[in-house]
Amino acid sequence: MKRWLLLLPVLVWLVWAQSGPSPIRFEFRPIDFRLESSETPQRHAPETMAGGVAIFDYNHDGNLDIFFTNGADIGTLQKSSPKYSNRLFENDGKGNFQDVTAKAGLAGTGFDMGVAVGDYDNDGNEDLFVAGVHGNHLYHNNGDGTFTDATTKAGLNKADAQYGPLWSVGGAWVDVNNDGLLDLFVVNYLAWDIKTEQPCESGPGTFDYCHPRFYKPTPNQLFLNNGDGTFRDVSAESGIRAHPGKGMGVGVADFDLDGLPDIFVTNDKIYNSYFHNKGGGKFEEMAFEAGVALTENGQFISGMGVDARDLDNDGYPDLAFVALDKETFPLFRNTGKGGFAEVTQSSGMTRLSTPMAGYSPTIADFDNDGWKDLFVTRGHVESLGYASHAQVEQPNTVFRNLGGMKFQALTAEAGLTAQPPRRHRGSSVGDLNHDGRLDVVVTAISAPAEIWINDSPGNNHWIEFALEGTKSNRDGIGARIKVLAGGKAQYDQVSFAAGYASSSAGPVHFGLGANASAELVEIRWPSGIVQEFKNVTADQVLKVKEPK
Amino acid sequence: MGHPENFGYGVSRSRQEEHRRPKATSGVTKCALILLVSAVRVWSATDPRAASEAEAALALAHEGKYEQAIPHYRAALRLDANLPGLHLNLGLAYFKLNRIADAVPLFEQAVKKDPDSFQAHVLLGMSYYAIRRFDAAAAQLKKAADQQPDNTELRFKLAQSYLWSQQYEAAKREFQFLLTKDPDSAPVHMLLGEVLDAAGQEEQATAQFEAAVKSSTHEPEAHFGLGYLYWKQKRYEDAQRELTAELADQPEHTQALTYLADAELQTGNEKPAEERLRRALKLDPNLRLAHLDLGIILASHHDSAQAQAHFREAIRIDPGNPDAHYRLARLLLAMGREQEANVEFAQVKQLAQRPEPSPLIKVPRLDGDAPR
Repeated sequence: MKRWLLLLPVLVWLVWAQSGPSPIRFEFRPIDFRLESSETPQRHAPETMAGGVAIFDYNHDGNLDIFFTNGADIGTLQKSSPKYSNRLFENDGKGNFQDVTAKAGLAGTGFDMGVAVGDYDNDGNEDLFVAGVHGNHLYHNNGDGTFTDATTKAGLNKADAQYGPLWSVGGAWVDVNNDGLLDLFVVNYLAWDIKTEQPCESGPGTFDYCHPRFYKPTPNQLFLNNGDGTFRDVSAESGIRAHPGKGMGVGVADFDLDGLPDIFVTNDKIYNSYFHNKGGGKFEEMAFEAGVALTENGQFISGMGVDARDLDNDGYPDLAFVALDKETFPLFRNTGKGGFAEVTQSSGMTRLSTPMAGYSPTIADFDNDGWKDLFVTRGHVESLGYASHAQVEQPNTVFRNLGGMKFQALTAEAGLTAQPPRRHRGSSVGDLNHDGRLDVVVTAISAPAEIWINDSPGNNHWIEFALEGTKSNRDGIGARIKVLAGGKAQYDQVSFAAGYASSSAGPVHFGLGANASAELVEIRWPSGIVQEFKNVTADQVLKVKEPK
Repeated sequence: MGHPENFGYGVSRSRQEEHRRPKATSGVTKCALILLVSAVRVWSATDPRAASEAEAALALAHEGKYEQAIPHYRAALRLDANLPGLHLNLGLAYFKLNRIADAVPLFEQAVKKDPDSFQAHVLLGMSYYAIRRFDAAAAQLKKAADQQPDNTELRFKLAQSYLWSQQYEAAKREFQFLLTKDPDSAPVHMLLGEVLDAAGQEEQATAQFEAAVKSSTHEPEAHFGLGYLYWKQKRYEDAQRELTAELADQPEHTQALTYLADAELQTGNEKPAEERLRRALKLDPNLRLAHLDLGIILASHHDSAQAQAHFREAIRIDPGNPDAHYRLARLLLAMGREQEANVEFAQVKQLAQRPEPSPLIKVPRLDGDAPR
């Protein structure tokens, strides 16, 4: 009898978790942007890969704005029509978004894919790196609502001497040497040239996007910030260039807590790359040694986007990336001993994600319960013509973290079937309407973008941190934040790189559950400075400036 | 943890297909009869000596004395190569003796001489099927089926020919037709399931195997096929149920034992998994997945030496599969044998470059550019 009594709370909790009202809910809001990737019957590879999006405050008004990258004519890689324009939408804070692309000068010229937000010149204005097919762009934020194309000045306009023009899918701003200047890591996909690309037949006279094995890998790049608006390509000397791949996503975190940011890159159908920062501007690739090169069963999966944050609140950033159907969405727990253990099966993710194809995973606490969840944009890489072989168009899904590295998938329950299934691509997370709940913006191939406003039930508390580095880089990228609330610690590291080809550059968000304050907040800046705050009131965005 | 084994039900289908006959008998007629009869009297003599040899051959064939009949057929052929039906009957004698390679050119001649001969198309189609030229078999059987569209046994063989020659759409049509004749045919449901699985329509394939199991719960391989599909979809609890059902009928089904053990391992039931894997390996020491999984279990028990041995066995059986190399490498790394680990990691990296099956067929460009 006593045994039953002990089990009762667990059973009640399980029943609630499985059948109660969804603790995470989203409401759809439209926005006037359609991703145009120039889909042709020949199915050229870039057509299915577009769709980066960023949430960031471009004009310092405290409201998070939205930037979408867009495609171009696939034959010329030029934005030959206004429909291919990149778009910047200004948020008035009341849920209205106004297109300010023209004024900002961000329409772009080429076939753009990804976006990385970062204040590379520490002037207090967020700049944009836009990754594209055979051409990247650096847009300097002038602070007056306009941007200047600084690509040439920065030295980021050069084709690779060995590989020619590269196809970049995204990037990450990261201060690899902690000198207070953001450096740029560029993720490159594979060697592609429309002149030599050969079509792949999916049936008599019909084509679909080719398997990545038909293309050669290319190296990622690392550009060191000289502090004068220019960058130096240190890909070779840093050790990055020696490991070509078919990069799709980048996760940046100090995985071993040695004070230096490390870089993880998912690769498509080959082993992943894990660049451990040795200091002195050198990286060692040790994905195999760390156990993250492949899923634990040794299979080469279609690694797509990735996010690197602490899922089990042990202080060590974990890894979540996604892949196509039957490949699962792998989760790797950081063991804290220099390696990772795959927990896809034990977390429930194998069962939940096996039928799904994903593109962009973002880790964030959507129900403010103190456990970071995982939002995944879903959709297959192949065209609509492939629908007889696989579920090409899919709804998005949020995987709720139940604690203890267990997850629950919420799709219709979370309101995410309010829009038709699509080939979703990039995603970005931020509180767009100042209600303390994280919203999500999602793109989809040949379809309108989706804003998912978080209207989750409950009154959990939250806190956000908008960092301003002084000795460290102005964005505070690389800072490690610990929040202690209700006796429980949570951690995050500042990184705007998240998901597929996208950037989430809002303040760092923590859910506090029932706690109306945090007993302790500790911020470890990349400079080594440690700041502490005690008894911090919840439900506010705390602006924190690094002490000099 | 595991992955589709080489000996999966799809690959072992050549053994299994013999279990699979439709229950439908309506219209099952001449093609079966042709194989039952010993010879077919179709000639009219122009040369009396040729006719006499042919008659002698026919008499022997009717008694089942095909070896003795063949010289008489050959003699008749030398005397009158145009004697109608002679190629067909000589071919049939070879066919009865299971000398298919000898039968094929004779049936080909018979078809050439009489392109409308139902019997010639059926026998040539059956011969091609026997020597696993499934695309050619399908072409011949299709011609016969056009003449007898309600002959379900013929359509069944035609459907199988389509399946094994990877003409999935045509196979699907044929099996669906057969199901209109007998909706409860477990073998047809299973084969249609195979077609759908091969075409990447896993959910529909599963539904067909579920229908097969419902129609005939003791149908050989039905529970295994369904369990395998569940396993492939990582529905491990469902897989365990079906594989257990198959083992109840076939306790020494080594594939069922292995996949059941893998499903148990995936769901944390290590102990029964280990017992099953050891049993499976006793029955067949060449089960790659069984070695791999046993290695994983032993490694988790820190029995590094035995784990290593099993990983190496898995590699021996299929050196082209990266998972055992990867597992072995990580084990060696944990044992501090970094150099050996690196050799295995290098193997994995090399295997990453190998071509792998894709549903998309690479075709050269029309402008003549050479494929990369």
